[in-house]
Amino acid sequence: MSGRWLTVVALASLMLVVAGLWIPAKAMLAQELLEMAWSESRARQTDAKPWPWADTWPVARLALPDEDLSWIVLDGVHGESLAFGPGLVRTGDHGPVMIAGHRDTHFRALEAMAAGTRLQLQQRDGQWQDYQVASIRIVDSRQEGVDLNALGPDGLLLVTCYPFDSLNTNGPLRYVVEAQRVTTAVPEVASVAHAVTDS
Amino acid sequence: MLLAVSIPPARVPARPAKPLQPRRRRLPRWSEGVGLWLSMALLLFVQPLFADASEAPGTGAFHFIDGQGQWQQPATLLTTDYQVTVSGLIADTRLVQKFANTSQQWQEGVFVFPLPEDASVYGLTMIAGERVIEGEIHTRQEAKRQYQQARDEGRQAATVEQQRPNLFTTRLANIPPGEAVSVELRYQQAVRYQSGEFELRLPTTLTPRYMPGKPLTEQSTQWQQGWATATTEVPDADQISPFTVSQNDVPAGSHQASVRLTLNAGLPIGNVTSPSHGLNSTWNGDQVVVAPTQGAIAMDRDLVVRWTPVRGQAPAAALFREHWQGEEYLLAMLVPGQQQARSLPRELVFVIDTSGSMAGESIRQAKASLLRGLDTLQPEDRFNVIQFNSQTQALHMASVPASATNLARARRYVQDLHADGGTEMAPALDAALLADADDEDRSGYVRQVVFMTDGAVGNEAALFSQIQRQLGRSRLFTVAIGSAPNMHFMREAARFGRGTYTAISDLADVSGPLDTLFAKMQAPVMTDIASQWPDGVSEQEALPQRPGDLFLGEPLIQVVRASDGEGLEGTLEASGRLPDGTRWQQSLDLVQAAPGQGLHRYWAAEKIDSLMDQSLSGQVGSEIRDQVTELALAHRLVTRFTSFVAVDRTPVRPMNQALAKDQVPTLLPDGSQPGMIRYPQTATWSPLLLTSGLLGLVLSGLAGLFRRRRAGVRS
Repeated sequence: MSGRWLTVVALASLMLVVAGLWIPAKAMLAQELLEMAWSESRARQTDAKPWPWADTWPVARLALPDEDLSWIVLDGVHGESLAFGPGLVRTGDHGPVMIAGHRDTHFRALEAMAAGTRLQLQQRDGQWQDYQVASIRIVDSRQEGVDLNALGPDGLLLVTCYPFDSLNTNGPLRYVVEAQRVTTAVPEVASVAHAVTDS
Repeated sequence: MLLAVSIPPARVPARPAKPLQPRRRRLPRWSEGVGLWLSMALLLFVQPLFADASEAPGTGAFHFIDGQGQWQQPATLLTTDYQVTVSGLIADTRLVQKFANTSQQWQEGVFVFPLPEDASVYGLTMIAGERVIEGEIHTRQEAKRQYQQARDEGRQAATVEQQRPNLFTTRLANIPPGEAVSVELRYQQAVRYQSGEFELRLPTTLTPRYMPGKPLTEQSTQWQQGWATATTEVPDADQISPFTVSQNDVPAGSHQASVRLTLNAGLPIGNVTSPSHGLNSTWNGDQVVVAPTQGAIAMDRDLVVRWTPVRGQAPAAALFREHWQGEEYLLAMLVPGQQQARSLPRELVFVIDTSGSMAGESIRQAKASLLRGLDTLQPEDRFNVIQFNSQTQALHMASVPASATNLARARRYVQDLHADGGTEMAPALDAALLADADDEDRSGYVRQVVFMTDGAVGNEAALFSQIQRQLGRSRLFTVAIGSAPNMHFMREAARFGRGTYTAISDLADVSGPLDTLFAKMQAPVMTDIASQWPDGVSEQEALPQRPGDLFLGEPLIQVVRASDGEGLEGTLEASGRLPDGTRWQQSLDLVQAAPGQGLHRYWAAEKIDSLMDQSLSGQVGSEIRDQVTELALAHRLVTRFTSFVAVDRTPVRPMNQALAKDQVPTLLPDGSQPGMIRYPQTATWSPLLLTSGLLGLVLSGLAGLFRRRRAGVRS
């Protein structure tokens, strides 16, 4: 009797573990699928859905050249897009940009950032733009919101949940990285290299 | 990593136990040790996660799961109810805003909300459970003082203040935890009648305003507690910029409005339509009751209701009369007949707002409107296209002939416009009004400026005075774009610009209102409008004193006060002149007047408007201030200088309990792109699932080992 119960508990736990592993696995696998959609949307200069029933599509690629990491960024910051990649919202067509990602999957890497860290963003026109982290703040999302217009047209905001090791999925704290576009010629070499490896 | 190692050993001993009898003793021993070590390691891995989670400030106890994910938000739920009664040309509305406090704390709710651009608020009632407290009108400072005193003493209080003629703030102090308090506002507005159609607009939200100028204080660039920082151009920016969020960011059921309109137009109504919502209309004789089909509507766009009289019954004149405190008030409407259109060559300047607030649906509407406007050009006309956001850019240095090539080029230019940046409107007005306005070559042209914008700016008054200064021989027409445009800006800019205004509600509705507008622009304008009231009415009391020019299909509306109204009779004579010199004349016998309601408030509001017009720069002289205050107190109207306040006498909040402040957000207008957003949820269930799964595995593994050991001991 109790042996059967043990098996049930063990099986249920195993299923939980598999479900828990599935989330990061899906996030990793999706990025591979998104690569194709991203190449297509850059080639055709239109939004290309990664799979027919998707309700989001790639809009940018975000790279951390120092860590050798990059992600395909999807449209919108709703749960559907964040499950597969970081999500982007913006005001206007050339305005400031906010990218949010799950702290447990893609944006875990934000933890290692510091002021001065270089970032690169490629939008549909294929051009890589260089950004530099200006500040990192922890904010309470109950007290504060984001006003993208106050960020200036060259602003880039990366957002993920905080603390990084928390189990709480509804926590109020956010880790906010503010970066500004840099137009100096210094990081140009890196961006060229990226463009080459990317295409 | 840890998982891959830990799962198999924990489970391996359980399965081979029965078939492999001989090895039974040794295997458990071995696996027991490994299992114990692994579970220790697991606990070490899991423990800090729990510790971190419970340290998250403000969350108090650690919650695993919550239904809506809303539990942390000390949110105030907001529901509103509009009961509108239209009698004749006046719509009277009872607006109930219900604030439900879902938190464990005492709350002060602050809500910035729009009202129709000509709304006169004349009543405030606070309803807290059984208690109903009537508000009183006071000067703004006095109302604020009474409210703050009551709030600090723990008494319930409500106040309503005017920030802009179409933007108000409700404050409600000491809402008990878990309870709801309602504020009932009464306001009236005039129904717009033109081209045989009545229109009423109920705004429910506002497009976030752009605040030109430099910040007055050095503050964090991010939005703090909901409000923009004051700037040199908009010193009250922090008062008119509620946090604007999408519907997903407010608790379910919040920001819903129920609406019911009762139309007593006094004439048979043919049909009732709305470009913004589906409507259910029930006819009951001449009375029509209208409500949105979907029941409660989201407060993310203006509700527009239009109705037309039965064919052939369109009124050519209307007269209403009200007796109030020994005085007689009359409201007259006269509709000039349709005039023969005579086309003069025109110079049309299209100005299109491409600022960030226009992003999304609005810019598509604006582009469609502009393209439609280009279509109306005749070969002998001239035109130019100007776009503005943070910068102003004109397609041509000066206006060019409307040739096929120029038009094709303009269409391409318009197609490529996109929206972002600020809303610096002043340079755009400069470019549209000043550029080549005095050019001799073009003096034979009728100069018209079509301004397409959502009016999302905070410095309206400065822009109005600029229009007044620079207008010259141009006329300015405004086209309101988007789900929640600033209609106050549209109406006043057009009034100072000697033009008229219209509004586009959605992309499917572009052609209707625009065709009417362009038809008006092409038709001759009636000028020199004058009215002659019979003896007993002083000229000073007839408002507006100098009626503006009348466009095709527009009525002349005047309201008068007669101190000795009893014996008032005779006829009202109105006249005007068309460009070709023909005169229009019409008279109206005052005996025909039907009883009206709220006319004295309409008159007072008009009077206050005309007084405030004299001080466009924003600096109001003390004489005007006194006159406005006196009128507003007499007629019980909310103005820039007077507010309503309702205060309960007995304290309800114990002094040892704190009062939290909740800035109730407004909804992002439908179809526009968010500039202000709540931080998204950026955590997954993964760590929680993994942790609970691993814990379960470890526990069941341990229990299994324990059972086996007991079995081993027994055997």
